[in-house]
Amino acid sequence: MKRAGALALIALALAALAIYPAFATGYGVRAVLQIFMWIALAGSWNVISGLTGYVSFGHVAFFGMGAYTGGLLIAKTGWPWPLAALGGAAAAGLLALAIGGPCLRLRGPYFAIAMLGLNEVLRALVSYFEGLTGGGNGLSLPTLDATVPIYYAMGLTAAAVTAGTYLILSSRFGLRLMTIREDEVAAEAMGIDTFSHKLVAFLLSALGPGLAGALTARDQGYIEPLSVFPLATTITMIVMALFGGKGTVWGPVLGAAVLFIAQEMVWARYPYVHPLLFGAIIVAVVLAMPRGVLGLLQLKFRLPRTI
Amino acid sequence: MNVVITPTMVGQVIISGLLSGALYSMVALGLALIFGVMRIINVAHGPLLMLGAYTTYFLYSGLGLNPYLTVPVSMLVLFGVGLLLERTLIFRVVDAPELSSLLLTFGISIALVNATQLAFTSDLRAVEYLTGSWLVGPFAVSKPRVIAFAFAVGLTGLAFVFLKYTRTGKAIRATSQSREVAMVCGIDVGRIHLLTFGLASALAAAGGALIAVIVAIQPEMGQVWTFKSFLVIVLGGAGNYPGALVGGMLLGLVEQLASLFLTTQLSEVVAYVLLVLVLLVRPTGLLGGRQT
Repeated sequence: MKRAGALALIALALAALAIYPAFATGYGVRAVLQIFMWIALAGSWNVISGLTGYVSFGHVAFFGMGAYTGGLLIAKTGWPWPLAALGGAAAAGLLALAIGGPCLRLRGPYFAIAMLGLNEVLRALVSYFEGLTGGGNGLSLPTLDATVPIYYAMGLTAAAVTAGTYLILSSRFGLRLMTIREDEVAAEAMGIDTFSHKLVAFLLSALGPGLAGALTARDQGYIEPLSVFPLATTITMIVMALFGGKGTVWGPVLGAAVLFIAQEMVWARYPYVHPLLFGAIIVAVVLAMPRGVLGLLQLKFRLPRTI
Repeated sequence: MNVVITPTMVGQVIISGLLSGALYSMVALGLALIFGVMRIINVAHGPLLMLGAYTTYFLYSGLGLNPYLTVPVSMLVLFGVGLLLERTLIFRVVDAPELSSLLLTFGISIALVNATQLAFTSDLRAVEYLTGSWLVGPFAVSKPRVIAFAFAVGLTGLAFVFLKYTRTGKAIRATSQSREVAMVCGIDVGRIHLLTFGLASALAAAGGALIAVIVAIQPEMGQVWTFKSFLVIVLGGAGNYPGALVGGMLLGLVEQLASLFLTTQLSEVVAYVLLVLVLLVRPTGLLGGRQT
């Protein structure tokens, strides 16, 4: 009964979001599109960091990788953008395998710091290979007004990331990931191949940002190294996932929606205060409510674990 | 790109590499101490270095102090900041899962960088005190880099003497070998954690103060130092303090060689490839695991 009610609620929300562009202003569509993007990013970060316990400080690298791959496929080879977006996701996945191979073999903070550096490295490479990427001058895509189709594509991405998280969380695979998070030695002793589980989780967590990056490149029509590899994007997705509740299905959705709206309404007027606040929110959440808003609600209302 | 590489150029590169390597060693020693004693990777290490650089800048531009005389002042100020951070925030995550300490120090680092940006803007600031080079035989060595090298070697040496011969230094090493046994021996482990964090912040501050005389500073200068310091302790073997010295020199050399044979733009990429290679081939670092 409860389950049917929840499903009905989700279906209703999806239907409302699906017909939204028919009524909304251009700004409204763009704002919800942004929320979709943040849900996809925060939700993807949540898979490797919230569920598996391996903190990624450079997840924007996959966003940038997707943006440049998608952008180049559109601008240089003329692929239609939906196909280029899939190409962006594939490239981000390959990058995850290449980095995860050496860095996830080890326990400890190696992975976190390797991800911190990855972003700088990609930015340096994009600037260096000017002939292909346009370097610091950026890359312009042929003009195309596709905001509404991209709204749907980004919405699908966000929905896929969220549904994927639910499927992982309610599967044996998800349980194994959480075992690794809680105690990796114990996980190994129980016969879990921790390395390949971490690598698959990492691969999955790179696909969403790759897709979102390519879609954003198409939507904006112009990309440059500074706009697609900002540390601020990583910070924002981490704050959103932590605030909503890491390791949950709906936490990143909640965090993305609440913080994006708060950012648009209040913090946009004080542009310099808001990253400072983000830092403070991370500190406060880690110390005071490590399971985020949703974690608190879970405890209070005895909600199911797979929420 | 067909530049002939002469022995003089190689010698020059080795000198520059060792000069910057000593700075890497000193800053990374701070990160290594915190990791060894508290089992925490302090992501805010680089931003603490940035605060040291700003302290020196303001003492120089505001009070007209000789920037080299401000090095101990910056160290003292950041020692205090380190104590404050440890006592209010860091100590809460010492025994928590790694996820908590990484995220907490990441949050602190963002807050420090953006508070600095808010207070002092993102403008580049420079301590224009000493420029130019000395000619030693066929080699040109930059004056501020030589002095920074001398400071770094001296301070690192002092840190090692402190760790090796003083009671407190021995207590720090004991805690890093085994916290439980140290506790049984009557060492106040909480106090050692506090002191270690303060010392590490002071070492970062010394690095920042010296760098401020070499290049222009800005609030976001620190993050790359967190990454490089980490790279240094991975190269040398995490938790291995002499390893930080070797790792720092090695990173300095590799970066300079990369800028000679490839291009300066790619020196960070080369450092990154080095990290990945070490993790693949010898994850315990070149000098092996943790011994103190």
